[in-house]
Amino acid sequence: MKLFGKKMMAAAGIVLLAAFTAAAAGCGGSSDQKAASSAVSADSAVQKIKDNGVLRVGVKVDVPLFGYKNPQTGQIEGFEIDLAKAVAKKIFGDENKIQMVPVTAKTRGPLLDNGEVDMIAATFTINEQRKQQYSFTNPYYTDPVGLLVKKSDNIHSLKDLAGKTIAVPQGATTRKAVEDAAKKEGITVSFAEFPTYSECKAALMSGRAAAYAMDQSNLHGYVDAETEILPDSFAPQEYGIAMKKDNAGFRDYVNQVLTDMKNSGEMDQLLKKWTLNK
Amino acid sequence: MAEVFADYKWAALFDDRGIFLEGLVTTLEVAVFALILALVLGVIFGIAGVFPKTWVRIINRIYVEFFQNTPLVIQAIFLYHALPHLHIMIPVTAIGILGVGIYSGAYMSEVFRSGINAVPRGQLESGLSQGFGYWQAMWHIVLPQARRTILPALGNQAIAIVKNTSVLAMIAGGDLMYVSDSWSGMNMYYGPAYLTTGIIYWVICFTMTKYVKRLEQKGAVG
Amino acid sequence: MITMNLVNKSFGHNHVLKDVTMEVKSGEKLVVIGPSGSGKSTMIRCINMLERPDSGTVVVDGKELTQPKAPLKAVRQEVAMVFQQFNLYPHMTVLQNLTIAPVLVQNVKKEEAAESAMKFLERVGLREKADAYPSQLSGGQQQRVAIARALNMHPKIMLFDEPTSALDPEMIQEVLDVMVELAHTGITMVCVTHEMGFAKQVADRVLFMADGEILEEGTPEHFFVNPQNERARQFLSKIIH
Repeated sequence: MKLFGKKMMAAAGIVLLAAFTAAAAGCGGSSDQKAASSAVSADSAVQKIKDNGVLRVGVKVDVPLFGYKNPQTGQIEGFEIDLAKAVAKKIFGDENKIQMVPVTAKTRGPLLDNGEVDMIAATFTINEQRKQQYSFTNPYYTDPVGLLVKKSDNIHSLKDLAGKTIAVPQGATTRKAVEDAAKKEGITVSFAEFPTYSECKAALMSGRAAAYAMDQSNLHGYVDAETEILPDSFAPQEYGIAMKKDNAGFRDYVNQVLTDMKNSGEMDQLLKKWTLNK
Repeated sequence: MAEVFADYKWAALFDDRGIFLEGLVTTLEVAVFALILALVLGVIFGIAGVFPKTWVRIINRIYVEFFQNTPLVIQAIFLYHALPHLHIMIPVTAIGILGVGIYSGAYMSEVFRSGINAVPRGQLESGLSQGFGYWQAMWHIVLPQARRTILPALGNQAIAIVKNTSVLAMIAGGDLMYVSDSWSGMNMYYGPAYLTTGIIYWVICFTMTKYVKRLEQKGAVG
Repeated sequence: MITMNLVNKSFGHNHVLKDVTMEVKSGEKLVVIGPSGSGKSTMIRCINMLERPDSGTVVVDGKELTQPKAPLKAVRQEVAMVFQQFNLYPHMTVLQNLTIAPVLVQNVKKEEAAESAMKFLERVGLREKADAYPSQLSGGQQQRVAIARALNMHPKIMLFDEPTSALDPEMIQEVLDVMVELAHTGITMVCVTHEMGFAKQVADRVLFMADGEILEEGTPEHFFVNPQNERARQFLSKIIH
């Protein structure tokens, strides 16, 4: 400890702060440049990905049917994976020119921001706040929020959760959705947020939370003999593919891919394949 | 990367500063009580580590080796998710205090043990020969002399405690790290959230470092 | 006052005390001598149970200390010990060194303890050092403080474990002087030492130990003039030129 004198400590502090400031300032500079060049055109955005030789996509690996790493095969599979592959096929003519980066609700924003991925297809709900920061395609799926409860707890509707704790995943819009729904019912609930879905489920099973709230399709992956999904469903969540805010060109490109898939019936086939056609 | 630190995000952070303040209060609360617990455990198990009776020393080793060699996160998750299945439901703040306190207590007991070992054996014998009980001799004669070697290491442990309280973020503990995660997860304004949170932790720990250094200097004179 | 019967003590494979049996009467001055490693320090440390015998009995002032429930703390208050390395408490002043045990262990009032402490400091000639810290004193002064500290417990028995062995030669005499003076007070003394002059001067009886056994025992006159044991004779011839 003696190694670091008073002055050294103070200096270290200043350096640390300076680094933060520089980082922020540096970002500011680059943003001006980007603003000047305005939105990147679809062509140049796609060209950049082509140059990279691979489409980098942030996907879920823990949401069955959407993005899920099959423990048997070790492959990541699901509806969103197939969508991403369709985009890769459009760009490269090869659906395997794709690099999948596992994301969580918490990490997908930062991964987009720092350019680690070209796009996010990971049950990413479109809302106003997020639209301010990212470019979203048109929704490709709409999923209402549902509640998973323990059968033994005798909870039959959202109302029964008055005063109780609800587990929600961190970084998801679920909390806001349930909060609003609870307000409408005239009840108050509290929330416990966890980094992963399985921790939400664990909290439900241990009695830390009376319910686990999440998009219903997600919940279906966590139902077991002891639990059930309540009939209540609210706040339909629209999933979109997200890019950087200034990458609207690529957004338009992917939108076109999605529209083409819808028109050709390919989208319906995929939904059927993943039993998501309701 | 400018978007990460966009002005409107800072504005939102300022508007919601109450949330962060609450988190900070929880963090400090847990840190203070965990520190007290860790000190008590540190003294008791530190002395157990030099105790004449073998079985007492074995208990010290089990405690230290267990808690030093398993991640705090796993201990916290165990207390939070597993214990309720045994019908033991500890409130999450208490888990923070117990979890961090017991974990850090293991490190502190090693600090006390080595500090005590650095005091010549004759000091304890001198006390015992005068009719002091073992604990009395420890408290009045050995520990005050161990102070100088113990204090700086204890200070480091105290700082680690503050940082370790962030384990609560894993178990919905409502601490500073958790509210930072939660708030930024909701709106994706993680840039200002984590930078601010980082600076708050840094300020707390830096202040503590300073304080410990002052204590040290005082100790060196006394 | 002190009785040891068939005391054995080993450290690992090292059998340090072998069936040691001895007795010290009230008021007696016993001096224990012998080559280093003979077990004499271990023997004296068994009297106040700083070392616990593996077998045998130690009885001090009528209390058998080798029993599991022996009143150890009470007896130790009556049996003060002076160590080779002084073992003063370095974080306390001289006065605090003298008063802490009386106050905390014997429940003597602080003022009383301080008053008698000053008296004993006077006796060892260090009254003016009451507020000094041990590190500010010479070795000889520290040992005299240690003796005063022992005396301030008002013990019945004083144990000296090589009290002058760690001292520079020019400081030995000042400590011995204090011990000689103390010997005239009628207190019971057991003293492990290499100071033959001191032994001759104050000892009522001398024990000679070697290899964990008491080999010779007798008055100084007998021991120094006409020892029966061969080892004792050799030892003396080496020490006294």
